[in-house]
Amino acid sequence: MSTLDLKDIQGIFVRGYGELEAGCYMLLHIRDATPARDWLGRVAALITDGEQKPETRALNLAFTCEGLTALGLDAETLATFSHEFQDGMASEYRRRILGDHGESAPENWAWGGPTTTPVHVLLMIFAVNEDERSEFCKSLSDGFASGGVEQVGEVLRSIVLRDVSGCSKEHFGFCDSIAQPFIEGLGKTGPPPNTVKAGEFVLGYRNEYNLLTERPLVKAERDPHSILPPAEESAGDHDLGRDGTYLVFRQLQQHVNRFWQFMEDSTRDAGGGSHPDARIRLASKMVGRWPSGAPLILSPDGDNAALGKENDFAYYEADPHGLKCPIGSHIRRSNPRDTLDPHPGTEKSTDVNKRHQLLRRGRAYGEPVAASMKPEDILREEVPGDRGLHFICLNANISRQFEFVQQTWVNNPKFNGLYNDSDPLIGDRDALGPGQAAIFTEQAEPVRRRATRLPQFVSVRGGAYFFLPGLNAIRYLASI
Amino acid sequence: MAHQVALTVRARITPGRLAQLKNELAIVNADIEHNELVPFARLGRVHFARFVILDEPVAAAGGVAPQGDDQFAPSLVFASNVDAPLSDYLDELMSVAADGLDRIFSNCEGYPAPGQLTNEARADYLMARGIKTQAFYVNTIGRMVTQVKDEARLREAIEDFLERQPAATLATWPASRVGSAIQEFVRGEQSLVWAQAQARGLAFWWRVKEWTRFILVILILLALLPLFIVLLPFFIVLLRYHEKKDARGGNFRLSSMARGQLENFEDQVVQNQISAVGHIKPGWFRGFTVRALLMGLSFSVRHVYNSGDLGTVKPLGLVGVNTIHFAQWIMIDGGRRMLFLSNYDGSLGSYMDDFVNKVAWGLNAVFSNGASYPKTDWLFLHGAHDEQGFKAFLQKHQIPTQAWYTAYKQSTALNLTNNAKLRAGLFDTLSEEGRADWLRKL
Repeated sequence: MSTLDLKDIQGIFVRGYGELEAGCYMLLHIRDATPARDWLGRVAALITDGEQKPETRALNLAFTCEGLTALGLDAETLATFSHEFQDGMASEYRRRILGDHGESAPENWAWGGPTTTPVHVLLMIFAVNEDERSEFCKSLSDGFASGGVEQVGEVLRSIVLRDVSGCSKEHFGFCDSIAQPFIEGLGKTGPPPNTVKAGEFVLGYRNEYNLLTERPLVKAERDPHSILPPAEESAGDHDLGRDGTYLVFRQLQQHVNRFWQFMEDSTRDAGGGSHPDARIRLASKMVGRWPSGAPLILSPDGDNAALGKENDFAYYEADPHGLKCPIGSHIRRSNPRDTLDPHPGTEKSTDVNKRHQLLRRGRAYGEPVAASMKPEDILREEVPGDRGLHFICLNANISRQFEFVQQTWVNNPKFNGLYNDSDPLIGDRDALGPGQAAIFTEQAEPVRRRATRLPQFVSVRGGAYFFLPGLNAIRYLASI
Repeated sequence: MAHQVALTVRARITPGRLAQLKNELAIVNADIEHNELVPFARLGRVHFARFVILDEPVAAAGGVAPQGDDQFAPSLVFASNVDAPLSDYLDELMSVAADGLDRIFSNCEGYPAPGQLTNEARADYLMARGIKTQAFYVNTIGRMVTQVKDEARLREAIEDFLERQPAATLATWPASRVGSAIQEFVRGEQSLVWAQAQARGLAFWWRVKEWTRFILVILILLALLPLFIVLLPFFIVLLRYHEKKDARGGNFRLSSMARGQLENFEDQVVQNQISAVGHIKPGWFRGFTVRALLMGLSFSVRHVYNSGDLGTVKPLGLVGVNTIHFAQWIMIDGGRRMLFLSNYDGSLGSYMDDFVNKVAWGLNAVFSNGASYPKTDWLFLHGAHDEQGFKAFLQKHQIPTQAWYTAYKQSTALNLTNNAKLRAGLFDTLSEEGRADWLRKL
């Protein structure tokens, strides 16, 4: 196993910069390639690598395929990027498998769709406080005009919603980002079923098949100063992908009032009375964790904040039929652990699961409906405004990781033997035809309960596939 | 109840008529169930069917890679997976789609002239161009289209019935009482009368025939065992010689695959199709090996893997795949090429992941005889374990399926198996435990 070259890998691979709470994303369009390459060379010096532990500011940068084209990367090299990346998130086929239609259709996106200015570059900016952030953003944007780039749309500002226990919440009120894979060779290792080879998340290293994932390469003669290292297992090529990875960005709008109103309506008794506990229980059944983050599999009967950060568990032995944590709940299908074939409950199952992992780096955006994030306060009033999650994940193979999770697990109404159940939280309700995948089955004794006609609780407001290059690769791109 | 059969017709396309043919197939595919040519929804015996064009000239196909050095004349393949007997299917086809077949096959060589078009002439034409399927996988032998549809309807009716019951009441009942309530409901439904009886099994004489065949083959194999043992070392030496000689994979990269055109046809419904064609490696040894393996595969899918699973070998701890509805392995062009057709659940990506993660050994054995397959060792090892190399191999050989029909586009194979169990246990006398288990199928 080769050691991770953290000086060459961008910092966002190593850490989410949790202590830098003021964050934003800037989307750029390249107007003029020549000054843009010079600009990139200047910005390269500001980029946070994986070894640094920034205390005030961090900056990371990624390109779309159009962005690399606009920068002047040659067609032969572009063709070595993965098909998904070249095709783009908003293509006819990908919107179909990702479930992006209706209010989530790319035509309606605020960015990344066919009707808005093409996004070329993504700047991810993190700072210790708001003042620091706005100063950093200003100093960066001062260089745009002379650098041949311009900003697309608004700055996408993120927020951190901390609860008393310190966990970061998403807008429905659940602690989020608990289950992250441990990366082999990076800091502490976790339990084997949750420790994944680095090559699943960064290119140029061995993946879970003990192979190198296909990565972008340049012909040696196109890199005369050898800025890039020679490509392993591919003679005559230099490795443009090494220490880089693919970054998936989706702006997911959360319909918070709609979500809790549905829980309220579904748990009212015959006389119309409210049942706050049943409301939370149903929502938690859909998530697979209680609002504190405590997994249902460990705490089936009620929330237990002491288990809020718990991530060392499996499903099959404790709950083969989904009586504790429903088979179709969000966490049991977006990361089924040991649930699926072959040999559920064993390492053979988790070995396959490890080939479909995402390294999540997203943050919430928009003001919460109620500061308390409690359903009773949320239900009291409808607060307009766009809020949700800037979903970001890193993966070496978009098709086997992000797209697989989205299509085969999250949006698949047939997941693990189900019929009409897409992911209760984020799934596409029309995956089988209009409204045909809108059931949530809660396995129970003597017979299952169902919630039906689930509306869309989340819709997509923007998105794109990016390439997050290693630092050498950024220097190479600035030199072409 | 009847078993399932495959009808695969291959006809040469008349030079100059490819564009016209593709137009007709596009009309079929635009509304596969109710189009004016072959309205498949009116053909009650068809599970899956497709039209595929082989050896479409590269320019017309929009850049799909050529399939080898040989030049083969373009041909049309019409493949149907249907409930036996085949003659009933042909009758259905003639009564529903005679004009449509004319419009399609009149673009192919040798189709009867308009004056000579009788249903008999049409059927003769198709049968004369029928090609043999070397191995035909049927997810569950004997489960007919009508049964599939009835059982899906039964499950939905039961789910709807439960929906109408107050959840709080149901929760307090023991399993047996919920079971009785469901039985009572089904008894009261005129349209579900059939569900009170078990699905009719395969015909007794058919089963006797199958068992006899199974036992005979086993006996013959046992009798030949000494011969196999003597020949095995020679086979292994030859195998290793050929494997060492193989180039190290085709070095295809997935990124350079022309996927766009193929993706247009994919992920429209719950299931997907794949059509792929490739060359067998030259020389008698690979030709012999692949035929022998397909015979073995054919035997095992007919007698062992005939109820919901393909590839599980319990003693070896191997778990198979339960997402394939029908698949055909067909040797064409005098054994120089193989055509592979499959109807499966979920995305192509997940299908290929299943291959790599679960049944790589089986894929290796058959497909390693195909040119440019990732390098294998000892027939079963490596090969498909080169994940992206294998995926690139399969996609390089994939060809567009111009028109594709599925009779139950809303159901996975797992759904069908579950529906069948639901029906089978509905009126069984079960213990409390047994009824609780049955209720979990809902």
